[in-house]
Amino acid sequence: MQNYLVYIINLFIIATNLKFNTMETSLSEKESLDLIRQMISTAKNNLQQGMGNIFLLWGYLVAGISLGTFILLLVITGEARYYAFFLWSLMALGAPVHYRLIRRLERNRDVTTYVEKIMAWVWIAFSGSIVTLIAGIILSAFFVIPLFTDVGTNHDAIIWFQWLFLPPAMLCLYGLALFVSGKAYGFRPLAAGGVICWVASLILLACLHLPRTQEIQQAMLCLCATAGFIIPGHLLNRKEQNHVPGP
Amino acid sequence: MYQDLNPLLHSRLRLAIMSILISSHEADFVFLRKATNSSAGNLSIQIEKLREAGYLIAEKSFQGKMPRTTCRITSAGISAFEQYVEVLRQYLPGERG
Repeated sequence: MQNYLVYIINLFIIATNLKFNTMETSLSEKESLDLIRQMISTAKNNLQQGMGNIFLLWGYLVAGISLGTFILLLVITGEARYYAFFLWSLMALGAPVHYRLIRRLERNRDVTTYVEKIMAWVWIAFSGSIVTLIAGIILSAFFVIPLFTDVGTNHDAIIWFQWLFLPPAMLCLYGLALFVSGKAYGFRPLAAGGVICWVASLILLACLHLPRTQEIQQAMLCLCATAGFIIPGHLLNRKEQNHVPGP
Repeated sequence: MYQDLNPLLHSRLRLAIMSILISSHEADFVFLRKATNSSAGNLSIQIEKLREAGYLIAEKSFQGKMPRTTCRITSAGISAFEQYVEVLRQYLPGERG
């Protein structure tokens, strides 16, 4: 009985195949091209549902921390004001939430385009660059700057000056990742956010000599997180709500 | 007339599968089924034919408790698709020679 059933199922498969092959022969060259064009458009590079939340996570985190640091810098005076920058260690809180959001995205993802794959690597490279910059500054403070032995060298001043370059460098990298993402996905607010970050980076480099430069840097980081991450993130979520899912 | 066209690709469903995979890094079985508007059984058979020819890789995994098949085009598949499109161009007016 079981063999008979398998035989029937096989016959059915062969029949469907034959039917399909008959259909194949009627495929003209124009139909072939139309089919290729139609199928390629189904896997076009749309920003995936839930992507806005990742921008919102990092946007609110950077905006909140920079705003907090800005306020602490205004309130605290003297040597203790350096401790305000330890607030940035809260950025680590974003990692587990980011991991969960990415896991959820991957669970719902039914097609991965080459652009999506490359963009994932761009953001990984962006994170790697930021970590390298911070690690470089910390390591040089311990191993390189003490090697400057000229009389009258203020080691703390050199270290402090190195840290001053971090926010403009970070904004430059924000600009790169946001601009490439915006252009690759065809989502203008992201690309515009990238340009804003570049302009802000230039302004910060021009403000390095000002006495309140740290406060200006924190305020600018807050502004750029809003323009580059929070606003595009909300626009993206709103776009997703109105989007009719594909095939 | 179509003797030069790769018979494995000159099929509605197999060509549709390859067209999706050429433009994406990888695609889920369910996505392919919906995009090509085909039945699961038929799609499985055509994917198997393309896999046997070395044109694609079909990876089976589990998403939680649900089985999942993900397809990815191979370099042999890319070459075959490019060749197919090149031959196809010869049949179009104004594209010859």
